[in-house]
Amino acid sequence: MNMAHAPDTASRQSSQENLLLDYVYRLEKHKGGRKVVQVHLSRLKPFNRREHHVRVAANSFEALVKALQGQLFILKSCDLIFIYKREAAPDVETAVQRVRFLFSDDPLLAEEALAGDRFSTWFDAENQFDEILNLAQGLVDKEKKRQSEVRAKMDTRAALKARQELGEPLTPEILNRVEAALTRADLSNLVRRQFACILGPKGAPEPTFSELFISIKDMRETMLPGVNLTSNRWLFQHLTYSLDRRMLAMLAKTDHITISGDISFNLNVSTLLSQEFLAFDDAVPASRRGHMVVELENLDIFSDLEAYTFAREFVQERGYRICVDGLTHQTITLVDRKRLGADLIKLIWHSDMVDGGKDIESDLRTLVRRAGENRVVLCRCDDREAVDFGRAIGIGLFQGRHIEHLIAKENRKRDLRRLKARIQNN
Amino acid sequence: MADFGTASSLPNNEKQSEESLLLDQANRIADAPKGYFAVHVHLSELRPQYRQPHYIRIAARSFDSLTSAHEATLYILGNADMVLICRDVPINDLDPPVVKLRSLFSEDPLTFGAEGSLDDRFTTWYDLAQAADFGSFLAAAEGLVAAAEDRAKKAREEGDSPHGAMRGEALTPGNLTEVNGRLQGVRIEDLIHQQSAVEVFSGGKGDVVFQEHFVSMFNLRQRIAPEINIFSDAWLFQYLTETVDRRILSVLAQSDFVAMRDDFSVNLNIATVLSPGFQSFHEKARKHASRVVIEIQIIDIFADFPAFTSARDWLQGHGYRVLIDGLNPLALQFFDPGILSADFVKVAWNPEFLAGIPDERVTDMRQAVESVGSHGMILSRADSEAAVEWALGLGIQRFQGHFIDRVVDAMITKGII
Repeated sequence: MNMAHAPDTASRQSSQENLLLDYVYRLEKHKGGRKVVQVHLSRLKPFNRREHHVRVAANSFEALVKALQGQLFILKSCDLIFIYKREAAPDVETAVQRVRFLFSDDPLLAEEALAGDRFSTWFDAENQFDEILNLAQGLVDKEKKRQSEVRAKMDTRAALKARQELGEPLTPEILNRVEAALTRADLSNLVRRQFACILGPKGAPEPTFSELFISIKDMRETMLPGVNLTSNRWLFQHLTYSLDRRMLAMLAKTDHITISGDISFNLNVSTLLSQEFLAFDDAVPASRRGHMVVELENLDIFSDLEAYTFAREFVQERGYRICVDGLTHQTITLVDRKRLGADLIKLIWHSDMVDGGKDIESDLRTLVRRAGENRVVLCRCDDREAVDFGRAIGIGLFQGRHIEHLIAKENRKRDLRRLKARIQNN
Repeated sequence: MADFGTASSLPNNEKQSEESLLLDQANRIADAPKGYFAVHVHLSELRPQYRQPHYIRIAARSFDSLTSAHEATLYILGNADMVLICRDVPINDLDPPVVKLRSLFSEDPLTFGAEGSLDDRFTTWYDLAQAADFGSFLAAAEGLVAAAEDRAKKAREEGDSPHGAMRGEALTPGNLTEVNGRLQGVRIEDLIHQQSAVEVFSGGKGDVVFQEHFVSMFNLRQRIAPEINIFSDAWLFQYLTETVDRRILSVLAQSDFVAMRDDFSVNLNIATVLSPGFQSFHEKARKHASRVVIEIQIIDIFADFPAFTSARDWLQGHGYRVLIDGLNPLALQFFDPGILSADFVKVAWNPEFLAGIPDERVTDMRQAVESVGSHGMILSRADSEAAVEWALGLGIQRFQGHFIDRVVDAMITKGII
């Protein structure tokens, strides 16, 4: 079917407004014999423009779309825009009439008798092309503005919340206290696990490995309420050395059966060169190393490339895989996975990726392709938008709260199926 | 089964050194050297960083399976060299560990020469069954023992003299507050030095691009904490530089910008540029912003890229120029600094360039110059005429370093600049 896909599944770049604008640009060359109608469903009362109303209205054009007589766009505002060939004009008028009939009880149509046609606007592409172009451009601008307003509102709220939650800056004295406490504290209850998954065609998650990490937020709450551990980048970086050692100690102790499947964990390059890592490496069964991914922060890698290249050769030769962590859509442009000799790279999801427009999207797509299929993990996917965007740029692996949510949903479904099977068997 | 080097890998202690154990074994096999051969791995020729014990310890592990499966003894010498003495070990079994070892140091020029080629400086092989080879091996072993004794003697004489940069108590979160406090109160005006970045024209002419103002950290350490090695931890040192930033900015804000002959540059943390302290500097420097270059470290950019872009945009928007510092030729192989949209990029010279580096590395460097633009690229630490000539060949025209300092002095004497 020639109808552009529904707006809720489209990534923002390929929103209907954008698709319409692209289409109108292309129309310029073929404007002869083309007409456009805008059906103002947005002017209906809210109870008349729920999702199913819009769907029914759009269905009125389905036959024309199938017959390749025209193209339909369903806008965020609920308005419909139909661009069609002149020959189809009588059928289009009938279709619009049918939609009008569906909403005949709405005040808009009752008033129309007095104020003229407020339900639909008709254009002839041949002599009104500029008007059509202005309309399409205006829709894109409006949608962009709306989105940035929504996001700004959310960002301000998030920033306020973060400040309230973050608290006092980290000082050397506090760092000293934390590091001393860390050598004694049992952190096993602060270890969290999050899966990196491939998503099936229907969106069902299939774990490829799980990341084990110490929850900084929870550690702060138990050990140092009111202190913002990440407020000074350099001091925090120092703290990660201590966390590395605790993590290694826990991993060495953990029963390998309880941590099933492939796992990943974050370490510093210098930790890989330490006695503690050598002891860990000696304790891990050789067969297990191939199931472990060491995540290294890009800042740490670039602070000493000589140390990184040495450590990478060392651990890869031992069987571990290397993942470059902490890349943003900006720093990923600086990093070439193959040159770095890493097995995986992690890109942190941020809504700016979507707001950045076509250029960022196509740059990222190229970078993802260059890094290789299933070599890039989009992490911190908190919502579906992240996954949609990731898929649109060719990313195959996802991690984050949204993915955890999908896993839980999938598990519930599976449990339900099992339960059903058991009931049937009884 | 072979015995792994029994002495601890620390030379110069009461126990017998690895060097003398090696010489002992060489002497023992002198009567029946059949089947013996030795491999000398010249790790002492690595860059200093790679010669540190934690690298050598891991490197030595490459031979673990070989020494446990065969009659082979590994000696880890005090200068970081390794010597392996083998008896009746199939040569093919030596290839995997040697390849492994080379790959660990693949970024070091020591491994750039192809294995077995004339340029290969990585290993020397001795067939101990051949009298000539045995003789030269014995001489080499004696030389190693003598060198180890020299080092031990020197170390005893020097004791724990505090003047070495890497001596002293390590910087820790525990003593950082104290050091930082002293830094806040110390006089630093007289520790601020200047070094010119110069554009070189044909015919021996030149022009100062800017004067970098910097605090001599070695002198600063002497003044605030001679007993503490403030360079021992990269991140904690970085924390101290934030305080140094505030101090140097307040000094520079007092400058007489009108009377200043040359433009100047100063190295700052991004956090400093975004802080109120920089705004007070800007109050004073506003009208002269185009004469000020702000140098930013590459790690700082990786630490927080959005902070970098906002700092860069703000600076450039207010007329300042931005320079990316802290790059070395290795970094250029991993990314293209041109996309950082800075006005200048500084790459540190390394004499290794003259020692024949692989073509693709020269190509990377050339591409970086093209990407940044020849006016944007500055070769720092240019310490010889050869460095300047080499860089001119790549299209680099701007330089900084000791050699340049001497050139500038000469130019001033001649009245050229």
